[in-house]
Amino acid sequence: MTENEARLHERKHFWRDELLLILSMVIFVVVVYALDNALQPIFTPSTLLMAGVFLALVPAGIWLVFFNLQDRAEPEPKGHVLAIFGLGALLGAAIGIPVVENLFRVSHWIYSSTIATILGGILVVGFTQEFLKYAAVRYSIYYTDEFDEPTDGVIYATAAGLGYATVLNIQFVVANGGVDLGAGVIRMAVVALAQATFSGITGYFLGRAKFESEPIWWMPLGITLAAVFNGLFNWLQGIVIRPTVTLSGASNNAWMGLVLAAVVALLTTGVLLWLVRRNIKHLQATE
Amino acid sequence: MQQSKQLSLGDRYAEITVVTVTIIALVIGWFYKSSIENASLPFSAEGISAEAPKGWIQFQTSGDELFRAVDINSKGFGTTYTISKIIIADDVPALEVSSLVALNHAQNLLAFRVLSQQEVQVYGRTAYELDYVYVESNPDLTHSEMPKIVRGTDYIFVSNGEAVIVSYQADEKNYDVDLSRFLLFLRSIKF
Repeated sequence: MTENEARLHERKHFWRDELLLILSMVIFVVVVYALDNALQPIFTPSTLLMAGVFLALVPAGIWLVFFNLQDRAEPEPKGHVLAIFGLGALLGAAIGIPVVENLFRVSHWIYSSTIATILGGILVVGFTQEFLKYAAVRYSIYYTDEFDEPTDGVIYATAAGLGYATVLNIQFVVANGGVDLGAGVIRMAVVALAQATFSGITGYFLGRAKFESEPIWWMPLGITLAAVFNGLFNWLQGIVIRPTVTLSGASNNAWMGLVLAAVVALLTTGVLLWLVRRNIKHLQATE
Repeated sequence: MQQSKQLSLGDRYAEITVVTVTIIALVIGWFYKSSIENASLPFSAEGISAEAPKGWIQFQTSGDELFRAVDINSKGFGTTYTISKIIIADDVPALEVSSLVALNHAQNLLAFRVLSQQEVQVYGRTAYELDYVYVESNPDLTHSEMPKIVRGTDYIFVSNGEAVIVSYQADEKNYDVDLSRFLLFLRSIKF
C-alpha cells in the first residue's frame, strides 16, 4: 500500500471490533455478575486475589481476541500491538500510578469539592495518563514502517490504553487484597472502556499528525482533549455511581457507571469514525 | 521496528509543545493541590489560636485537650493533630513534663515506645520534642483490619505554670509526607 492509499484507508474491521469490544465488555460483566450471584463462590484470600487479577486481564484479552480476528483481513503485526500494550502497562506501573498516587496523592484531596474533582481529574490524572499513553506510541512505533495509516494511531493508542487500564485494575485488586467479583468486574470494565476510549482520541490525533501536515497545536490539542474527557468522565462517574441512601438502606449504583462508560465509549468511537471518514472524503476531494 | 521517517523540525516542535503543555498542566495541578491541602480555618480556645486544616474532622474535646482534628482521607490511621494544655507548678522543667506525657501515652497506647526526646527550637520558641511509635488497635471486634503502626511527635512548650502540648500522629507510612503540612499548622499556633 502506498502512503497515499494508506491515508485513504478506513479499516472498517477495526471500527466494527471497537463496537464489539464495548458490547462484549458489557456482556462479560453481566455474565460474571450473574455467575457470582448464582454460585456465590467462596474464596480464600489468595484465590480471591488470583481471581481479581484474572478478571483485570480479561478486558484486554477480549480486545486482543477481536483484534486477532480482524487481523486476518487487515494484517497488523500482533507482536507490535502486544509490545505497545506492554509498554502502556509498564509506563502506567512505573510512572503513572506513582505520580498520581504517591507524588500528587490525589485520593487525599481530589474529592474535597466538585471543582477539585474536575480540575484534579483533568490537570493531574488526565494529563499524566494521556501523556503516558501518547508516549507509549509516540516514542516506539510511531516512526516505524508498521505505523502506516492514520487508523494505526487509534489501534496502537487503544492497545496502550488497555495496558494502562490493566495495570490500574491489577493495582486496585492487589491494594484491596482481592475484590468482590460482582462489583469488582463492573469497575474493571469501566476502567478498561474509559482508558481505551480516551487513548483512542489521542490515537486519532497521532494518526493525523503523522500522515498530514498538521499545525504545531494539533497534538497538544489531542492530549488536552483526552485529558479533559478523562477528568470529566471521572467526575460524572462519581455522580452517577453515588449510592442512594434511603430509610430502607443504601443501594449501589455501580451499574450506572458501566452504562455511562459504554455510552461514552460508543459516542467517542462514533465521533472518531465520523472524523476519519470525513477526513478521507476531504482528502479524496482534494486529489 | 524499522524507522520509516526522520523527525522534521515541525514534528520536533510539536513534540516539545506536547511535553510543555503536560508539564504546565502538572505544575498548575501541583499548585492547586497545595492550595487545597494547605487551606485552613481559624481555631481559638483558652488563649491558644491556630490555623486548623480545612476539610478535616474537628472533634468535640474535653479535659486538657483543646483541639483535635483528623484527616479522614488519610490511608490507614487518620493523620491527627491535637493541642492540649495542662497546668503545672512553676518550677517544673520541660523534661519532667515530657516524661509525664510519655508515661500517660504508655498507659493508654498499645506497644508504645519512645524513639527519641530532645530539646529543640520551634519557630523561635524552646520546646521539648517527644518522638514515639505505637500500635493503633480498633476495639471494634467486627473490624477486620490489621492494626496500624502509628508514629507520633509531641512538642511540649512550658511557660508560666502551664504546658502546651502540640501533637502530631500519622500512619507510619504517611508520617514523612504529612509532616510538612503539620509544620505549617505548628507555625500557625500562637499562645
